[in-house]
Amino acid sequence: MPALLSPLGPAPSRWKRLRSELFGSRVDGLISIALGAALVAIAFGLLKWTLFQAQWAVIQANSTLFAVGRYPIEQQWRLWLLTALLAAATGLSWGLLRALPRDQPSGQRWPFNDRLAAGVLVALALAVPLWLQLSLAIQLRWWGITALVLVLRWALARWGSDVPRRIQRLVPLLWPGLYLVGMVLISGGLGLIQVAPAQWGGLLLTLVASSFAILLCFPLGLVLALGRRSELPLLRWGSVVYIEFIRGAPLITLLFLGQNILGFLLPGGLAPDRVWRAAWVLTFFAAAYVAEALRSGLAAVPRGQLEAAQSLGMTMPQSLVQVVLPQALRVALPAVVGQFITLLQDTTLLSLIGLLDLLGTARAVMANPAFLGKSAEVYLVLAVLFWGCCAALGLGSRALETRLNPSEQARYQR
Amino acid sequence: MASRNPAVMDPILEARGVQKWYPNGYHALRGVDLTVHRGEVVVIMGPSGSGKSTFIRTFNALEDFQQGSITIDGLSINEDTRNIEAIRREVGMVFQQFNLFPHLSVLDNLTLAPVLVRKRAKAQVEREALELLERVGIGEQAHKFPGQLSGGQQQRVAIARSLCMEPRLMLFDEPTSALDPEMVQEVLEVMQELAADGMTMVVVTHEVRFARNVASRVVLMAEGEVVEIAPPEQFFTAPSHPRTQQFLQQIG
Repeated sequence: MPALLSPLGPAPSRWKRLRSELFGSRVDGLISIALGAALVAIAFGLLKWTLFQAQWAVIQANSTLFAVGRYPIEQQWRLWLLTALLAAATGLSWGLLRALPRDQPSGQRWPFNDRLAAGVLVALALAVPLWLQLSLAIQLRWWGITALVLVLRWALARWGSDVPRRIQRLVPLLWPGLYLVGMVLISGGLGLIQVAPAQWGGLLLTLVASSFAILLCFPLGLVLALGRRSELPLLRWGSVVYIEFIRGAPLITLLFLGQNILGFLLPGGLAPDRVWRAAWVLTFFAAAYVAEALRSGLAAVPRGQLEAAQSLGMTMPQSLVQVVLPQALRVALPAVVGQFITLLQDTTLLSLIGLLDLLGTARAVMANPAFLGKSAEVYLVLAVLFWGCCAALGLGSRALETRLNPSEQARYQR
Repeated sequence: MASRNPAVMDPILEARGVQKWYPNGYHALRGVDLTVHRGEVVVIMGPSGSGKSTFIRTFNALEDFQQGSITIDGLSINEDTRNIEAIRREVGMVFQQFNLFPHLSVLDNLTLAPVLVRKRAKAQVEREALELLERVGIGEQAHKFPGQLSGGQQQRVAIARSLCMEPRLMLFDEPTSALDPEMVQEVLEVMQELAADGMTMVVVTHEVRFARNVASRVVLMAEGEVVEIAPPEQFFTAPSHPRTQQFLQQIG
């Protein structure tokens, strides 16, 4: 098509381009029509089922159970507080990103996506509480939390550039700090009543276990990956044996094994009960896979990079941190995030060792005679929840990839 | 005539009887001796596989060796990591493949080591780095990334990166071998200016014109040994060793 090839001709409209792509030839057209019809039929069927046939009472009646399990009701204000803090931090970071000068990469990408995201957020906040038939008090809380995100986003986008650089730099530190605060709020201590992990459940347990494992498996995997390439034989062989042992065993056997032996292996207090033992097993398991992903990244950095760094007088740790790792991480990032996503989904195995994570809660609910035969509704909600979490991880990873890509950085150079 | 005789015979590098075996048993260096004086430009030539790259890479301990000794500016290369790091601070190296850090801007490539290793103030190093980039003719590219530059430009950045550490000795390991022919000259010119400024240099290269015009002495290596060391006029016109004559015939 000359219109597409000629650099001088006007760019074809979106509609025209779509038409030429879908109906370029007769066969193309037939395939497009057939596939389109199939998609419409599937979507229509699914929509009909969700709107008219499915009975959502099973979700509506158990929404608290799915969210936090058997977390004591008089202590649930702590979780609301945590959600509000997370919302505030989100709004704050979001607004500051919007306030970034437009000549920076993250500043350039914001306008369109970000309005779309805000729109989706508002739609979810309006529709989901109504659909779940939450009580008015709880609906109001969700609307308040959504409003908090949006107001902070708007306010910081407007005045964020007036905030001094020194304070702006501190904002990323908010997140690790909030993680620790969140752990205290959830489990108690520092004057709060203890809530035993056995009482956590549903999405709360899934998120706590997976975030703990994701945060810890990365440094552990990095140590293992470097150990495997080390010149010290003991370190190298130790790493190889660990990685190959973990990768050779199914996670479920390790989870059962961990329930029995981790109490002896870890120093007292680190794995006091079943939930933490399971979280540690997830961490150790994922670390082996993360190590292999990072090793492929390290192997992709040419040997000359290390030689150049060392020939400039840099020490081995300096060369690794400043020169080798930034390049290795960029290569390994998609594989590592893929591992994180797998890890998140692997938390469903916790239900098999008797913990009430999302899947465990779902199984408990479905075992209730009142909701017999409602498994399709439950599993669909589960799938959507997991999809949401994994999509968020994927989006974050793609943003980070772009940030670490030197040619992308170069595009926005002054 | 650019070749010079150093006024003071003050050795900065002394290699004595260096022998190296690779782990697979290959005897790469068979007792090599070389002395380089301050202000000298020593060019090492030789057929591929003669051990010249291996030899120059022992000077900053990128390659180890099993017998003999190498002393650089009073420091001898041994097992001590600190000693090796001290030597590398004073010895710059330019590689065949440039080895710029692709994730850092050109300017950051230059300032990384002085700030990290020499603990100098970033602002001051940046000023000097910009001057150096100006000197090698790429001042306006300071904020680009290495991937956006041509090979010749990248190699000039690599030279500037080494110079930013203010080395007392510069090693060049086939600096123009990976370049397209039209870019060789711009790199050689920078090296020639550097020599004219009095930098002590050891250069492994196949560039006969550079050796003729810039070298104080030319070394021929073959089969892991030094065959001949002579001033360029003698090396290229009246070589004493038949191996040198054979090599000169081969490169035409």
